Amino acid sequence: MLFFRSEERVREWCSARASPVRPLVSMAQLWALAKAWYGSRLQPDSRRPRPEEMSEIFSDLGLEGDFWDPTSDAFR
Amino acid sequence: MKSRDLDVRVKLAVYGHFAVTGRRPSTEDVAAAAGENVEGVLASYGRLRAARVLVLEEDGSSIRMAPPFSGIPTRHVVEVDGRRYFANCAWDALGVPAALHEPATVHSRCGQSDEALQLRVGLEGPERSAWLFHCLVPAARWWDDIVFT
Repeated sequence: MLFFRSEERVREWCSARASPVRPLVSMAQLWALAKAWYGSRLQPDSRRPRPEEMSEIFSDLGLEGDFWDPTSDAFR
Repeated sequence: MKSRDLDVRVKLAVYGHFAVTGRRPSTEDVAAAAGENVEGVLASYGRLRAARVLVLEEDGSSIRMAPPFSGIPTRHVVEVDGRRYFANCAWDALGVPAALHEPATVHSRCGQSDEALQLRVGLEGPERSAWLFHCLVPAARWWDDIVFT
């Protein structure tokens, strides 16, 4: 999970590793993910989102498809 | 129920130490803060690891990750009010100010070009930026090897 200066830099990085280019995430989307995962992490009753909650968080941000599905077996 | 209460105390001790110092606590630090002996803390670590709350080093007692905090230096450094934290990945770099609820500056680098990133993050989120986040591993496989992810 890395930062990249641009989509071109992502494509170069993936090409050098013969890896597929995955969905790109903006800083605004990443902030929403960070808040959802960690906003209550220092509280006693905090926990990681459950798979169905993860799917809802991703969907709300327009991050959909097998790549973002925590229960998908498409990549097994 | 008793072990569950202990796990909450241990988790809070671990995260509290990271939040205050920016560094991972020793087992003795956690034992003192949680009011438990070291053996009890180590047993709790095992349960917290199974629950994906902590990631431990191979010695079973050193904390590698208490997400978003990293127990070891990384390329993602987060400055908050004069304190420095290491984050596990780009996602966790924004996770540090999200967890602390404090403004921060994220220092990292482009994964391809190594160009430096300096991103100010306020209470409402990061400043406008054209930088991108890219994750190679699908969500269903993140915990197959969370250190690689």
